[in-house]
Amino acid sequence: MDNKKSEKDLEVSSRRDFFKKTAVMSAAAIAGTSLSASEDDPAIMHHPKWGQTWGDPVTKNRYGVPSAYEHNVTRRNTKLLASGNYRASIAVTPIHESEGIITPNGLFFSRAHGGVAHVDPNEFRLMIHGLMKKPIVLTLDQLKRYPSVTRTHFIECPANGGQEWRGPQFNSLQFSKGFMSCAQWTGVYIKTIIKDLGLDMDKAKWMLAEGSDNSEMGRTVPMDKVLDDAMIVWGQNGEALRPEQGYPVRLLLPGWEGNLCVKWLKRLEFSEEPWYAKEETSKYTALKPSGKAIQHFYANEVNSTVVKPSPEKPWTDLKEGDVVEIEGLAWSGMGTITKVDLSFDGGNNYVEASLKGLVLPKCWTRWSYLYTIPKGFKHTNGKQLLLTSRAMDDAGYIQPTVQEEVDVMGVESVYHRNGIETWEVNEKGEVNHVQIRKV
Amino acid sequence: MFKLEKSKLVISASAVSLVALFAAGCMGGPANYPKGDDIAGGVIYPIENGMTGPYLVNQTALDNTVYQGRVPTANELKAWNKDIQAGGVGLPEGEGSVEDGEAIYEAKCVMCHGDFGSGGGGYPALSKGNGAEGQKTLTNNRWKDPEAEGPSRYFGSYWPEASTMWWYIKDGMPHPKSKTLTNDEVYALTAYMLAINELEVDGEVVDDEFVLTKENFAKIKMPNKDGFEPKVHGPSGLDNVRKYFANPVNFGAIKVSESSRCMSDCQQTDKIVRIQNGGIDDFHPPMSVERSLPKNNEMMAVKTIKDPKETYQANCAMCHDSFLSPGSAEWKSYTRKGMKKVYKNAIKGTPGGMPAKGGSSLSDSDFKLVVDYVVSGKVK
Repeated sequence: MDNKKSEKDLEVSSRRDFFKKTAVMSAAAIAGTSLSASEDDPAIMHHPKWGQTWGDPVTKNRYGVPSAYEHNVTRRNTKLLASGNYRASIAVTPIHESEGIITPNGLFFSRAHGGVAHVDPNEFRLMIHGLMKKPIVLTLDQLKRYPSVTRTHFIECPANGGQEWRGPQFNSLQFSKGFMSCAQWTGVYIKTIIKDLGLDMDKAKWMLAEGSDNSEMGRTVPMDKVLDDAMIVWGQNGEALRPEQGYPVRLLLPGWEGNLCVKWLKRLEFSEEPWYAKEETSKYTALKPSGKAIQHFYANEVNSTVVKPSPEKPWTDLKEGDVVEIEGLAWSGMGTITKVDLSFDGGNNYVEASLKGLVLPKCWTRWSYLYTIPKGFKHTNGKQLLLTSRAMDDAGYIQPTVQEEVDVMGVESVYHRNGIETWEVNEKGEVNHVQIRKV
Repeated sequence: MFKLEKSKLVISASAVSLVALFAAGCMGGPANYPKGDDIAGGVIYPIENGMTGPYLVNQTALDNTVYQGRVPTANELKAWNKDIQAGGVGLPEGEGSVEDGEAIYEAKCVMCHGDFGSGGGGYPALSKGNGAEGQKTLTNNRWKDPEAEGPSRYFGSYWPEASTMWWYIKDGMPHPKSKTLTNDEVYALTAYMLAINELEVDGEVVDDEFVLTKENFAKIKMPNKDGFEPKVHGPSGLDNVRKYFANPVNFGAIKVSESSRCMSDCQQTDKIVRIQNGGIDDFHPPMSVERSLPKNNEMMAVKTIKDPKETYQANCAMCHDSFLSPGSAEWKSYTRKGMKKVYKNAIKGTPGGMPAKGGSSLSDSDFKLVVDYVVSGKVK
């Protein structure tokens, strides 16, 4: 009961605040420019050069590229994660610049274990065998003749945020949470293919997925997922997969660790026993304080982040009384986002944010909260704002605090960190990455 | 309900979660949104009434037989079905000694993985000493004391199965030139890994005389074999996984109902931990959200790195900093007969793991400038 009361109090005070501030807002604040009310804006008063000369012919850029002005919107990498001469490495997505719930193909995060392979689609073959009456080899054209399904799902590296178990390290949304992206995938359910192959359902418990790349990346998948929503995909946001995403074909296990979604796929084998591949033993296992490590840690748990503002997208151009949308992303590999709450004091007290747009299973979900900038970017408690989001999914999971998560998992597990994240807004409106925790 | 799932339900008594999903689906929830737990603790959206979750499906298309492709030949199956399972199941005939393994390691692996597998330069360590001793460090956790020693995770101390090493060396090594080692070479390298990790085979610590074979492979003792949860091997493997992830406490997760989630006084502390010492900010390209036009539109052009030092840092430093570093004395034994062979090896790559042009896309003449720099330590 206490919780509900304070939630309502917060909502009422925030709404009252909003109406009060909007009533006294000046025209200059709305315009948000440095010009005084009487000055003329040269951008309006002069013909821009692009309006007075021919633009490009339609014959230019037959495959379109972004505006040259957008050149800072790119994947980025860091030496900390440079393993194998950047061949067993990752380049991360600029999610501070992301719009909606789809990542453009050229910005989708890129992770490889032996470099990005360039597969000749004419030589692509997919072999499916083991414990079945009719093993099968498919060409790309044959694979695409199966009845297709199209689904929008995020893919996340389970090491997203994994550099920050012991404390914040990246003053950047791109590096703190950009080990993930979201796309619309087209392919075929594996259950559609194997129902024709006479698989021994008594014996088949595990499926090996193996890539054709330099590292022959492989992982073991339980039959439960194969019979649920596991897909073999060739389409990404309406076109062929990019090489970085496994062209021509990858496995997609909606909601589960990115590395399980084996790229440059060549082979699926069914077996009674699991495989112990390198990337499910030496890596992608989460060590707990007991000394035991969690293996086969499949699903990326419920998570969220504030996108606007963020260290890259601060509030330095805003001042007291300005009304601004706080916006963010929430996602869960366990199901569908049901609630996102927002805190201004680092996760001590929350108000409920609004979900917006499509809310789909195992997919990025946008959330929003309209907010009036307080004096000095200070909370009513007198301290600088500490913006924290916290998501819930329809499986009933809620993000833990950093402390709650560390109390169970310790700080050495590398993978699957989904504790709430906090941005501190200083008196200039700059945004810095912090964590609220005891140690 | 989908045919395959139904047949599994009838045949397999152990399909606990699928039975649960059936029951949950019948119990309701919002229309067309039946619920159940999947093996990883998440929600299943079964295909029912032409829908899965919010998506419409063509049930007829999914239920009919649409066989494509052909049956692989016996030779094709043999060519691709080369994975190795726990205990060495699937290993080919062959053998290799620790002594041979060391020689191959020195020729093909040391430049990246370091002396005796010590790692460095962005490549993982293969040993940090005795595996059984290393295994004892796995309970180290800089959890309450940030200054404490962390756990030491390497082949001997951490990996549950030796088959993983054999399989990965065969498929993925040497990293710039994979799938070039013979089966005997892989046995020898695996034997050398056992030796530098001081592991036991058939009760004896592996020494320099040891020879690893298909026959004695199953007798390798991995100190951390039982260090993983849930147990995935054996008839109850899948059930173990289902049970493990059905309990959020096992993996640091929290489940609550929407109405009882904490909305006030939720934090255990008000301590703010900030980024220490500036944190990590060597981002490439540097972080910027400017929307100014790049100078000379250079971002739109294919950039050729012509500064040999820059190429070295980007492509070569990770291995060469510790082996034949720029201007090092070690180069003398390679350049005694002139630069021709050195250029050729650099441009074409070597079996020892040097990738062609270090993986760069420079022209031959530009790359020779990089070679000159690595050999002499000076930019001409």
